[in-house]
Amino acid sequence: MFPETLRCFKTAAPLFSQTGLLNGSRRMSTHGKSSRQQARRHFSVSCCHTAKARPVRKHRETVTIPGLEMVTYGERMHFVPGLAKPANPHWERDYKDPRFYRSPPVHEMPLYKEKPCYVFNQRSNVLEGVRQALWLTKTKVISGLPPQLLALAENPANQIPDQDERVQNAIKHARFWDTTEDRPGKEKYSNTLLMNLLHLCATLQSSHPAIGRRIFAEKYSLAATWKRDEDLIQIRGQNGLLHSCMDPLPEVSQKQEVADTADHVLETFYPVSPTIDLQKVYVYKEEANCSGFRTDSTYPHAHTLYFVEGADARCKLQPEQFRAKMLMFSFGNALARAYTLYGTQPQRLLDRPVTVQAVGTNGRIFQLMVFQLNTTDLSGNDGIKNQVWLDKDVELYDFAKVRPLIKKKQVKVPAGLVGYKPETFSKFLALYLHGAV
Amino acid sequence: MAVSCLTRALRSLTVSQPTFLSSQAVAQTKLGTHVPSTVGQCRGFLTTASLEQNRTYWKQREKYTIRPIGMKKTGGRDHSGKIQTHGIGGGHKQRYRWIDFQRLHYESEKEAKPFEEKVVEVRYDPCRSADIALVAGGNRKRWIIATENMQAGDIIKTSGVIGRMAVSANEGDAYPLGALSVGTLVNNLEIQPGKGAEYIRAAGTSGVLLRKVNGTAIVQLPSKQQVQVLETCVATVGRVSNVDHNKRIIGKAGRNRWLGIRPSSGLWKRKGGWAGRKIKPLPPMKSYINLPAISAK
Repeated sequence: MFPETLRCFKTAAPLFSQTGLLNGSRRMSTHGKSSRQQARRHFSVSCCHTAKARPVRKHRETVTIPGLEMVTYGERMHFVPGLAKPANPHWERDYKDPRFYRSPPVHEMPLYKEKPCYVFNQRSNVLEGVRQALWLTKTKVISGLPPQLLALAENPANQIPDQDERVQNAIKHARFWDTTEDRPGKEKYSNTLLMNLLHLCATLQSSHPAIGRRIFAEKYSLAATWKRDEDLIQIRGQNGLLHSCMDPLPEVSQKQEVADTADHVLETFYPVSPTIDLQKVYVYKEEANCSGFRTDSTYPHAHTLYFVEGADARCKLQPEQFRAKMLMFSFGNALARAYTLYGTQPQRLLDRPVTVQAVGTNGRIFQLMVFQLNTTDLSGNDGIKNQVWLDKDVELYDFAKVRPLIKKKQVKVPAGLVGYKPETFSKFLALYLHGAV
Repeated sequence: MAVSCLTRALRSLTVSQPTFLSSQAVAQTKLGTHVPSTVGQCRGFLTTASLEQNRTYWKQREKYTIRPIGMKKTGGRDHSGKIQTHGIGGGHKQRYRWIDFQRLHYESEKEAKPFEEKVVEVRYDPCRSADIALVAGGNRKRWIIATENMQAGDIIKTSGVIGRMAVSANEGDAYPLGALSVGTLVNNLEIQPGKGAEYIRAAGTSGVLLRKVNGTAIVQLPSKQQVQVLETCVATVGRVSNVDHNKRIIGKAGRNRWLGIRPSSGLWKRKGGWAGRKIKPLPPMKSYINLPAISAK
């Protein structure tokens, strides 16, 4: 590079007067020689990328003596050793520029409260999983779905014609056919499978017209606040796909069963606090209760929440934490509905319990849940509890492989759909038909 | 910076070259007409630009986090670029997990009370020889150095109380040295109360609490040296995990490179006094009791 410039100077030699040329070329050559080393260093900056950071300079305290004026180098416009650094008053622009907006400190915000609030959102990864969610929502867990729900799907009148074949086709569509690549990714096929199954269920509308009285809603923001043992707990955020309905779901358990839950003792996990991993905030609205829709909405009743495990690429939850999230959000929907029906004052026993269902899937394994909100008096550990029926880790099929799994020249798992389990879909269908039969 | 220097240099070249090389310009000069001042355009190169710093203080954080922190390799160099430690460089990328060495670290609003924590997981740590354990208690989680038999689900206790009777401590519990009975195996030893553990943190090591003398405790370190510290210094009971660390087989030179250790120079050096058998007396006991107390934060 440098020899080249010199050469071009030489070619331009006749252009200049002799003195000017001599001066110019000498200046350039000196420049070139001295800067060669420097320039080479500029091109290899890898060392300064990796070098250890300079030790932090300690902040020195400035001593101000009243009555004495510091001699600063402010007037000289450059640094002078021995003179003090000029202290300039903080300048504030007199117009509003959103690029340079600085939020005030937390304790000066209008919504600041002394008491912290623990917020659960769609990315909360609670350590203790379902146990913690049960404690936070004061809920009694019953494993397995309620029998009257399961009986719904057993009835041949409620089944889809060619049910098993069509479900298998739906799985094959999601796992094999819905792509131009070799195989679709997990977040894609789990979503497609859920949509396919919901579409299959919706074909029953001709025989069950009540299915037509529902809509799907996505990206609605939920907010619900409650008190649990002196702690204020909020659930906020956008969660899965909501199937909402014009008519409320019928309650699952009868009055006597609800009264019996008073004897249930909630499980504790002593060294760990129940509010671990919830976001602790000091700036919040105290009465944040919103189902995400207007109060005069035509479809006010949450019917089922559908969650897809890989929907949020930035938050990967383990199955236990995923179930906890499902439980918390179905509780939050029920609580927001109960607050609009019965007011935000804690009610020991709701006249009509609010029921919300939840289904979670990762494209193969389903988590099915029916939640019944019996009480909104959540502060103490005694009294009526809420109930949840949880059927966890139900597999819809064993394998859906594009290529067979071969070990030691033997086909261990053949290609295609293997091990389809029809009872899983009948459970899914039962939750869908609940309230429409 | 380098790119801007390069573009600047190239720009100066492209502007100057066509004017010099075109025959028209030469003809014009022969005719004696005015020449556009090309000297002003070619100002030379900027050589004294400050290099951009891409150094972050990855270790200096305000708030404790259990998330792994991305590290930058130093290659044994200090901030001025000079080699401080030979034989470091390369290796697999590692992430730093912030260990809370101050075991008796009370949660806010729950001070001066013994507390218990649950072990959530015990795992490998690339940055040290011992294993580390994630413990949860109250509203927080933190990493600590795991002891030998620590497992997920264990409950470990931490206390700052020195009672009249020596406690019967389980492995993994942390107590002040004054509360432990003489002869206990300890690790993660503090040398100043409240400063955080500095001794006996490597894999498989343990110290022995030898005796307690009016307000101080004497501990034998794994090197057989004895130190005298205040009895309020907190230590964990038991032996550090990963006991078989010294039995692992590196196997080949390349594995040391994976670990970020470079080969030594290979230059022949005459063996000096460091080689050969020596018989030397035990070093005298080291005392840490008259140090000025660290200021309370």
